[in-house]
Amino acid sequence: MEIPFVVNARKDTGLNNSKVGIWLFLASEVTLFGGLFSGYLFLRIYADYPWPERTLPILPGLLNTFILIGSSVTVVFAWAALKMRQWRKFQVYMSITLICALLFMVLKGFEYDAKFNHQAVRILDDGPVNDFAIIEGHTHYAKLDHGEIHHADKNDEGAFKQNRIAIKASELTFALTRPVHDSYVTDLIEQAGGEDKFKLAASYAVKDPESGDEVVILEEGAPLNTDNLDLAEEGFIGGKSHDAKIRTAFLKGDWDTVRESGNQDAGWKVVMTDEWKEIQRESAEKMKGHLIGAAGSVTYTIDPPLLFHFDPDAVVNHSAEQLRLRDDTTIRGVFDVEGSSLPMAVDGIDLRFTAQRAVEEGIDPAVMIAGSWILEDPDVKKVWDAHQEWLRAHIEYLDKKSKDKGREGEDAYVPTESERYRVNWDQMVSYQRAGYTDIYQKAKNGELKKPNWIEGFTGPNHNNVEFLKAFPEIVVPRDKIGFESSFTPKWNTYYAIYFTITGLHGLHVIGGMIVLGYYLFFGRKMYESNPVWLANRVEIGGLFWHFVDLVWIFLFPILYLM
Amino acid sequence: MADTPEAIQKAKKLYAFIGLILFFFTGITVAVATIESLDFGGHGFGAADAIIGLVIASFKACLVMIIFMHLNNEKPMVYFLFALGLVMAFFCVWLIGWSKSDPIQYGNSTKADGFYNPDKPASDVHSKTEAKH
Repeated sequence: MEIPFVVNARKDTGLNNSKVGIWLFLASEVTLFGGLFSGYLFLRIYADYPWPERTLPILPGLLNTFILIGSSVTVVFAWAALKMRQWRKFQVYMSITLICALLFMVLKGFEYDAKFNHQAVRILDDGPVNDFAIIEGHTHYAKLDHGEIHHADKNDEGAFKQNRIAIKASELTFALTRPVHDSYVTDLIEQAGGEDKFKLAASYAVKDPESGDEVVILEEGAPLNTDNLDLAEEGFIGGKSHDAKIRTAFLKGDWDTVRESGNQDAGWKVVMTDEWKEIQRESAEKMKGHLIGAAGSVTYTIDPPLLFHFDPDAVVNHSAEQLRLRDDTTIRGVFDVEGSSLPMAVDGIDLRFTAQRAVEEGIDPAVMIAGSWILEDPDVKKVWDAHQEWLRAHIEYLDKKSKDKGREGEDAYVPTESERYRVNWDQMVSYQRAGYTDIYQKAKNGELKKPNWIEGFTGPNHNNVEFLKAFPEIVVPRDKIGFESSFTPKWNTYYAIYFTITGLHGLHVIGGMIVLGYYLFFGRKMYESNPVWLANRVEIGGLFWHFVDLVWIFLFPILYLM
Repeated sequence: MADTPEAIQKAKKLYAFIGLILFFFTGITVAVATIESLDFGGHGFGAADAIIGLVIASFKACLVMIIFMHLNNEKPMVYFLFALGLVMAFFCVWLIGWSKSDPIQYGNSTKADGFYNPDKPASDVHSKTEAKH
């Protein structure tokens, strides 16, 4: 079938159909991204926490901007080459465009990876208001050996981030109402070192509906495995289904009784009567003998008790004696305080939220911060004290600058909230390089040496031995963790909107690569038979590519510089 | 839009030039945001920095649209479609302004400045709302 008006323009629109189509699509795209930018604005204006200004490393973003602008030039060059019937040049320019797109995605990958591996913890404290101090850093890696947790390198087999909730378990109960245990059961068996470490505490039996005899589904002492749990769940669901049928039948009978008694009213009018209540009571008595009433859980004992470690995301809540997993499995035992703590190398101290909360409560932020739990750690305190020295020098510098420019009162230069209450990783490195001594004087003399742009390409590099010396080691007890997450959408609304917009933009880049790659690798035949059509197609693909560039032109300053 | 070989050759020079301008203004944006002596308004990030950053970004976007996307020489229908998208996008942003003048939260004040303002006691908001009634 011949597609009309793909080469020549229609008389009414003055355009070929492909162009009308792409502009319609781009109009919808403008609306889509407009909505997302609007969402960003909304989240930023109404954020009830200090918005992370200029928190992303600029260099990868800047490089990506150059890359996309460069690719916008080459894609339009590729189109021009086709218009001039220069296939070879078209291939070259389009190849460069695709390489640029690939580079963009690689850089984005590095940036995302750095975020996924960067841990943040909001500390809970016992001050007059909750502390809300935040520490950022990298968690250490560990591996399990016979239930015991050991330090490990990132690349060791079986190594995982040492962010686990641990319990020495003696008993666990599976809720048969939530038949989604498989992954947890497999993990529990693996951690225990075999399914026979778990013994069913009591036989699981369900009444036979015909004979009324108890039918044992699982014998006491049966091991834990998914097959056994499936059997128990099957028995429970069968029993529930049978009971539901019985209840429905009895209820139907009750309604018939009401109707036979001459009461034709329906719905709540009947339900509210004493007559109905009496019928229901009698009915419930009669029903008892017919119901199976299958137990909704099975309990396993673990003797001797064993240590289990769980990802915090799998745990709904925990106390000193038990924890509950997302599938309602309850594990009883003794909570392992040490195994549940979170060891990390701190590369960011953020007390802005603490200061904000203090102001809200009418407390002097300095007093609030001085009593903060994280400053009890001597290494963290050393960094914070060095920062106060730097701040003193910085305030003096700003005062002088204000005087020089004749700024007074509200117009005078003052440190930002970030400068006052946040110590960034690069500042930590500069304090360490200065030996934590004479920071005030060195700051005044401009002698503090921060890492250069390359050293912190996508943020703090924990593989750099020198940097590691600057990052204090800290172990956060689980009961001090108010909230923890890596820098993902879970952490705050900034990262939620950051990943939403950049992720969607990244998908557009991939989409553009596929379309432009198709022209490059499969366009030769069309070029030979109908070069004008191919040029039109490349123009359409190019328009989409320019739009992708256009979105990034706004994303870069908004997300990286503001 | 260039169609003859001569015009296309000429247009290519323009594309390259526009590319350089875009590179240059990207550099300017970063410089304004990071170099202390180029910091406008108060110290650190502020409204002046946001306006400068967005004005430069808008200028760059206009160059891409006008030159690379050939909006300098298009048929009326393209302008109509593109304007349609822009209107919808601005409508989305306008919704935020609308939420800012929420009479329940701010007592019909158009000078709302967020949910929390340490200098403005909550009673102010209530008294404004009551005064309206």
